[in-house]
Amino acid sequence: MIDVTSLLVAGIEFGSLPQQLLNGILIGGVYALIALGYTMVYGVLRLINFAHGEVYMLGAYTALFVSWIIYGRAQDPVTVVWYALPLMLLSAMTVCALIGIVLERFAYRPMRNQPRIASLITAIGLSLLLQYGGQLFLPVSPAPNISGKVNPYRDNLTFYLTQPAPSLVRAADALKPEMDKAKAALDEQLKLEKDEFNLSDTGLALRKEFFERQSAYNKAQGEAQSSAISITLPKGQLIMFTVTLILMAILRHIVLFTKSGRAMRAVSHDFDSAALMGINVNKIVTLTFVLGSALAGAGAMMSATFISGVKIDTFFGLLPGVKAFVAAVLGGIGNIPGAVLGGILMGVAESLVVWAGYDQYKDAVAFLILIVVLLFKPSGLLGSNKVEKV
Amino acid sequence: MKIEIKASSLAALAATSLFSLSLVGCKSEAEKQGGSTGTTSGTASGGGSAPSGVGRPAPTGTGNVQSGDTIKLGMIASLTGDQKPWGDDSLAGAKIAVEEVNSAGGVNGKKIELKIEDSASKPESAKTAAEKLLGEGVLAIIGEVSSGNTEQIARAAFERGVPVVAVGATKTTLTDIGAHVFRVCYIDDFQGAVMARFAFEERGKKNMAIITDKKQPYSQGLSENFKSYYTKLGGQIVAEVSYQTGETQFQNLLTELKNKNPDGIFMSGYFPEVGPLAAQARAAGITAEFYGGDGWDSSQILQSGGEAIIGSFMCNHYNNKEDRPEIAAFLEKFKAQSGGREPGTTMAALGYDAAKVALEALKRTTELNSVNLMKEIENTENLSGVTGTITLKGKNGNPPKRALVVEIRPLNEGFQVFRKAYEYFESK
Repeated sequence: MIDVTSLLVAGIEFGSLPQQLLNGILIGGVYALIALGYTMVYGVLRLINFAHGEVYMLGAYTALFVSWIIYGRAQDPVTVVWYALPLMLLSAMTVCALIGIVLERFAYRPMRNQPRIASLITAIGLSLLLQYGGQLFLPVSPAPNISGKVNPYRDNLTFYLTQPAPSLVRAADALKPEMDKAKAALDEQLKLEKDEFNLSDTGLALRKEFFERQSAYNKAQGEAQSSAISITLPKGQLIMFTVTLILMAILRHIVLFTKSGRAMRAVSHDFDSAALMGINVNKIVTLTFVLGSALAGAGAMMSATFISGVKIDTFFGLLPGVKAFVAAVLGGIGNIPGAVLGGILMGVAESLVVWAGYDQYKDAVAFLILIVVLLFKPSGLLGSNKVEKV
Repeated sequence: MKIEIKASSLAALAATSLFSLSLVGCKSEAEKQGGSTGTTSGTASGGGSAPSGVGRPAPTGTGNVQSGDTIKLGMIASLTGDQKPWGDDSLAGAKIAVEEVNSAGGVNGKKIELKIEDSASKPESAKTAAEKLLGEGVLAIIGEVSSGNTEQIARAAFERGVPVVAVGATKTTLTDIGAHVFRVCYIDDFQGAVMARFAFEERGKKNMAIITDKKQPYSQGLSENFKSYYTKLGGQIVAEVSYQTGETQFQNLLTELKNKNPDGIFMSGYFPEVGPLAAQARAAGITAEFYGGDGWDSSQILQSGGEAIIGSFMCNHYNNKEDRPEIAAFLEKFKAQSGGREPGTTMAALGYDAAKVALEALKRTTELNSVNLMKEIENTENLSGVTGTITLKGKNGNPPKRALVVEIRPLNEGFQVFRKAYEYFESK
């Protein structure tokens, strides 16, 4: 009989687990920011705003355009100015908030008294319109890419949870002098050769010698490295996560401790009664769109800036949007802490799937989670089974 | 009456969300179709340029017949989307070839009319574009660059019986679709083997990892070809991971790779994803050298890859710096046409060669129809193109060509700097 556990565990390296959990939490932070927008809008309007991913995409473009204004369009390295990143963040949030207002006012409000499916179709239509229509006026190529230019925090923080095994380190170090010697001999010969890739016989022999030494050293070095458990944390992503937490704290304050927040909760509880109690529901709905869209804008700006090499196109929000939507459902749609929890869980689930060696299913796991949640706990992890009078 | 609102509304939600996902999913489905032949890429039938009488299936249609005052040829290119650099270049190249013929009086006194359609860098749009051109009565279709798009064009043209001359589609099994499919580039069987040899022999890489774009038939095939030759040479593949076109974050994939300590990484995808991959790999502390195929061929890779991609090696079809009269003549015409700019990718030269193969065949035809044209394209022998000499006769649509390994350098050093040339060799 086949031992199922050993099959499952085969190929899994527990050493990379802490790193993968960290990756998951960092990625999940962005999902959470986007998921908040989905969940808040659903909370007050019972509407899934499928165009939310596109608001996110437009936030990334705003950051790009602002960076062009500050630094110019060329990809050349620039002298970093301190106000660039805050300005990009604020403008992305502002522009997204405005887009949110426009979407709500002109696309969703006319549909509000129609059957709910009409609003949903409108949302899907808007999403496709922005994805494909955006190609007409937004730069898609040459690939707009700013992270390499505007991000001054490109290096990593590395923490060792356990140190590399000393015997392995010594073994690797012992191989280094021989490799260096072979390299020196080869370099000496290369000076005499015309073409590095068409060597004479002496050159070939020296190169073979060097390759063997190098290969042995790399192998030993790798083994020594793998014997330690360490985590690498890119500084940019640390900043990104901190800003995410600050924004979430601000949101929590607004929702729980301000008059508008209380009104928002009231509207979410019962739209019609809230209106009867003198709450200006239109204002509150607009506020909801403003908050949700601004958070998406912040997430987009930070993804476009702090994640190396990320290119921006009109489908920038497609995958994050879908995953954040699943995150919102997972946490309990309409529930704000649920969206944060769902986002982080989604990010971690994705990383763990890769860690377990099933990277092919990295994106499928989102939909698997969606199906499982809808089958077994449709109200989500933190959602409650509210009853409604018909 | 009370009902449980959450449960019922979420059921509706599930239905609608699946609906929206299926809308979004159209793209991937069409591409899946394109990728369905990817599984056969390892079989010998794609043996490429080995001359063999074992025929490819003959197209079922009777083809288009020339009518009107002009001879219509179709051109499909990615004029929008990710692959725009290739689309623009291949079209510019093909236009030069057509102009050459037209300014010399055309064929049989008739001018050539190049009908242009955009594939928007997507297989499903490539299919629509092909169907439109076929309906307009083109005698042959020139295009595309990506294998996924070309597969769709080839399938559409199969039913009509119109020949297709692919520009840069290197996927080994592409030409198995039918006897009407030809190309002017090398195939991935060879490209994969060249990169495997270069990494193993010239750079001494014994343990490599492979990163594949599982959404692209090209990338899947090339990874397969690289792996089989590399392991045959004695190298070890220590890890294989994959991503999908359009993804932007690769940290978790790269964490797994880093743990396997490869001393080289083969990235078989296209440049829009390879740039960020390389940048994020270096950011994650991976020091291994990067290798790739002609899918990297656009200077955009320097923008997204930054410092990380410098010093990597890729395979390409030819180099502007090569000393051959065809190249000098072509570059002169290209510059004159595009305001002094040199072509940014090799697809300009391949687009020119593809159009030239079709046009030269057209000159030899006795009757102006697709069937005759297809026969004459098959008869192409020793045509001296910009990217090398092209022979299609008895080669099942795959001309044996040489490949160059180039190093990625900053733009001011010339972007692609020639390192080593490989003449065609059997990779089986």
